[in-house]
Amino acid sequence: MNLGGRKYVILVFFTLVGSIYLIRLFFMQVVDDSWKLRAQEIAEKRKEITPPRGIVFDRNGKKVVTNRSYYNLMMKEEDIHDFDTVAFAKLVGWTKQEVKDRFYQIRKGEGKYRNKNTGKVQENYQKQRAYPFIKELTIDEITRIAPHLEKFPGFFEDLTSMRNYPYAGGANIFGYLNEVSKEEIEEDRFYRPGDQIGRAGIERYYEKQLRGRKGIKYIVTSALNNAIESYADGKYDTLAQQGPALHLGLDIQLQVYGEKLMQNKRGCIVAIEPKTGEILSLVSAPSFDPNILVGRRNIGMNYPKLLLDEGKPLYPRPLAAEYPPGSVFKLLQSLIGLQEGVITPESGFPCTKSMVGCHNHPNATNLPDGIKYSCNPYFYYVMRRIIQQGKKRSIFADAELGLNEWYDYIMSFGLGSQFETDVTGMRPGLIPNSAYYDKWYGHNTWAFSTIRSISIGQGEVKVTPLQMANIVAIIANRGWYYTPHFVRSIGNDGPLPQFKVVHKTKIEPVHYDPIIEGMRRVCYEAGGTGKRAVVEGITVCGKTGTAQNPHGEDHSVFIAFAPMENPKIAIAVFIENAGFGGVWAAPTASLMIEKYLNRKVKDKAKEQMIVSANLLNIKAKPKKKK
Amino acid sequence: MRRGNSLIQHIDWWLLVIVVIMLGMGIANVYSAAYNPDHPDIFDFSQKYGKQIMWVGISGFLGFLVFLIDSDIYRKFAVPIYLFCFSLLIVVLFTPPINGARAWLGIGSLGIQPAEFMKIGTAIALSRYISTVNVKNQNIRTVLIALAIVMVPMVLILLQPDAGTFVVFTSFFFVLYREGITFDPLVLKIVNIFPGVRFKETWVGSHFIPILFYVVFLSVVTLLMSRNKYEFTFMRGVLIPGFYGVVTVITVIAFIAYLILRWISSKRDHRRVLLVIISGWVLSVAVSATVNFSFSSLAPHQKDRIELVLGLRKDDDGKDYNRNRAMAAVGSGGLFGKGYKKASVASVRSNHVPESETDFIFCPLAEEWGFMGSLAIVILFMGMLFRIIVIAERQRSTFNRVYAYCVAMIVFYHFAVNIGMNIGLAPVIGIPLPFFSYGGSSLMSFSMLLFILLKLDSQRRDVLF
Repeated sequence: MNLGGRKYVILVFFTLVGSIYLIRLFFMQVVDDSWKLRAQEIAEKRKEITPPRGIVFDRNGKKVVTNRSYYNLMMKEEDIHDFDTVAFAKLVGWTKQEVKDRFYQIRKGEGKYRNKNTGKVQENYQKQRAYPFIKELTIDEITRIAPHLEKFPGFFEDLTSMRNYPYAGGANIFGYLNEVSKEEIEEDRFYRPGDQIGRAGIERYYEKQLRGRKGIKYIVTSALNNAIESYADGKYDTLAQQGPALHLGLDIQLQVYGEKLMQNKRGCIVAIEPKTGEILSLVSAPSFDPNILVGRRNIGMNYPKLLLDEGKPLYPRPLAAEYPPGSVFKLLQSLIGLQEGVITPESGFPCTKSMVGCHNHPNATNLPDGIKYSCNPYFYYVMRRIIQQGKKRSIFADAELGLNEWYDYIMSFGLGSQFETDVTGMRPGLIPNSAYYDKWYGHNTWAFSTIRSISIGQGEVKVTPLQMANIVAIIANRGWYYTPHFVRSIGNDGPLPQFKVVHKTKIEPVHYDPIIEGMRRVCYEAGGTGKRAVVEGITVCGKTGTAQNPHGEDHSVFIAFAPMENPKIAIAVFIENAGFGGVWAAPTASLMIEKYLNRKVKDKAKEQMIVSANLLNIKAKPKKKK
Repeated sequence: MRRGNSLIQHIDWWLLVIVVIMLGMGIANVYSAAYNPDHPDIFDFSQKYGKQIMWVGISGFLGFLVFLIDSDIYRKFAVPIYLFCFSLLIVVLFTPPINGARAWLGIGSLGIQPAEFMKIGTAIALSRYISTVNVKNQNIRTVLIALAIVMVPMVLILLQPDAGTFVVFTSFFFVLYREGITFDPLVLKIVNIFPGVRFKETWVGSHFIPILFYVVFLSVVTLLMSRNKYEFTFMRGVLIPGFYGVVTVITVIAFIAYLILRWISSKRDHRRVLLVIISGWVLSVAVSATVNFSFSSLAPHQKDRIELVLGLRKDDDGKDYNRNRAMAAVGSGGLFGKGYKKASVASVRSNHVPESETDFIFCPLAEEWGFMGSLAIVILFMGMLFRIIVIAERQRSTFNRVYAYCVAMIVFYHFAVNIGMNIGLAPVIGIPLPFFSYGGSSLMSFSMLLFILLKLDSQRRDVLF
């Protein structure tokens, strides 16, 4: 046996193990980065600090959406001992069973996540981690609970921030916040479970601005998940940055006033500043106090109620309700007629009532009077001249050509489509063209007589109140508009670029004068349909409308702008089932105009009449006053 | 006076310097790994680093005592030393268990682990016994006595239980191999039962220990590899089942080995080399195939257990927690590390790596000093092992040589298993890294092992037989 050779076996063995270890160490430490990532996963925690959301101001610098401190009652199971369930239940005002249920709920539900590799939902509840036991306690509630918490080790309070609305109005404009869903977290890495996200209105549209920038603190954590120290002395930390303030064109006082006027009614008010396209007020009645949708508990309690409410308070009437515009549409027909040269301001048409009905009034001998009397036959003739211009031999081909020209004019008023704007929840309305009627009746089978009802804004035509208010703004501007929008400036950066683009109609400015004159006569001359709209000291130009409603009493419509010389407000008022526009909608519009231009209302009797009117159950008890 | 001079002259400075460097690095490392900001003083004896300095002092004193005593005492009193350590090992079994093991003897935090000192006792006793045996005349009796010297303490250690030290004791088998105490008599006894068979020696019997380790190693590799599929970079899309991957690797290694052996051997041995390689290849493939087949025919729960032990099952936050955290700490070190006392995974404050000042002391070191630190440690240990082998081979007496090999193998085992478990190449067995891990017993036993070796070496010329 050669034993001397065996020392080499051992030396080779040593060398082999030493080299394998060095190669392995070199790969682990220098070549392969996956262990570095693993170490980060284990020991370094990113702590995200969520800033309070951006504040929202109205046009007068009043804070309309702010933040308020709330507290979460946190629990850390590891620290809980000698827990007295009965005393704790008494302290937080729950039953013993509710406390037990909540514990069960947290242990089973919190920290659940979907494993990316297996696709299975895994439980990840950790005793050494803090979870909110009761969320969103108000300062009053926490000051009652906090002094007694020392008897319950493992429970402590944690500050959070939630929305607050100093004025109880504008819920339909601002929208509300709610906790992010799992899908939203997967879609946008900004969010973490429990974060808030804008669910509607400008909170949703401007979510990316309002949420601000999260601050990130890198900390070294222990195996028990305690923070030990900041990583690399905070070299990589970033500060949380609150989102920029939003400055709205909204006048919150006008908004609140409008909601007050519209109480016990269904309908809406849209007010726009013609020069800028900024929305001054957007009332959707019935309305509700935005504060009732702050926080999970409130949303859980109130949202279903709002959803099931007969009056549909969550339905954005000014944006989504598509009404036939009624007589208001006559203004557009006049403008198109003038532009096409088929009528002049001096054109007169007899009130024949043969093709369309009308109320009793003298024959209109000129265009402004036609508007003043809102004479249906007058505009029937105007529309017939627009549609059937005799450019083609076939009456059907002629109507097709005429309708499509008319359609182009109408579209230049922003009708039949949604505005590209920060107002969300809009419907496009409907403006029919030849293709539309071809589909209904067949090609070359229809002419003006078939579609005559659109001449007075009935039939197929559908317009939303926001579009209607925009028509008024266009008339006030004599032919142009900015897209209606809420936000006039994000921080100090001004509005979004698309709100600075002027949209021109296809009607020359000169043609607006007789229309405006007609609208003045509506409010100020004998036989005018909107005399209830006048405001002392201000020249109001208006137009009544009655939107036919196949389901019941007609809707009362009134549009107006004021003052005539220098228009500052364009307004559209819709009151559902309230009948003729002059009766309810016109005075409501006048009160809004007065409130906006004079900041207060002198005509208290008119105000009282509108505020106290209950038009909800108009069919059963017509015009019953409260 | 003459003796004093010879001490200075004949001491092996290389080994001593390596030990001193290791002790210094060890203290610095424990200071970082167990650092308590409330007690920043490194000499604070209420802290682990303070205590470690105290243990280093005590160990140095013990080493000094060892140098004062004539080295012949170990040979002469080998049996009493062995029996004394052995009795301690029995006594410790009657103490109340600490952390589930009856391993500690002593008062409070100043306990010692008899198992650590049993290593010294066994090394001395084994050296003494082998030095009296004529290797050429060995029989079953000599093999059994040698095995008993090693295995009886192992049984007691297993009763504590202390799996780590138990594993370390298998290092003595390599010493037996080196000294030619083979298992051949046992193997022959069995083989020669068959009528007509009269072997004088078998290859398997005389190389039993390396063969055993090779078989275990090959089995583990087979189990690790056979579960995956492989593809070559030049043959994309062609998946090779794991077992054939193993066969491929064996073939490639066999081919390379053949080329090397052919190159270094003389021409007339070429046929023999080819034969050895082919038989080695056939045996390896057979072992691998057997393991692969028997594993696939196991019941699911048995498979589960084996997979968990081998780390095939991903359970990073459960059963594999320690190793996963340790590897993350080591792997995150990078080339130059995070800096002294800057460990984020393996620091005592974050406590992600448990026992980061004892069994997992390599973690903070590798995390804070990076690959450069790891390289230094591996080189230091390799240097120490090679130096001990050099010392072993220059001894005149068998006793000294066997003892030196015992020391080398024990140190190697601790090094290989401890660092191996930190980098995922060895199962997690709680044994300390010599001179680095915090702990008095380990430090004292390793110091005494080394100092006895140094003393024996310095007096090697005094030995007359």
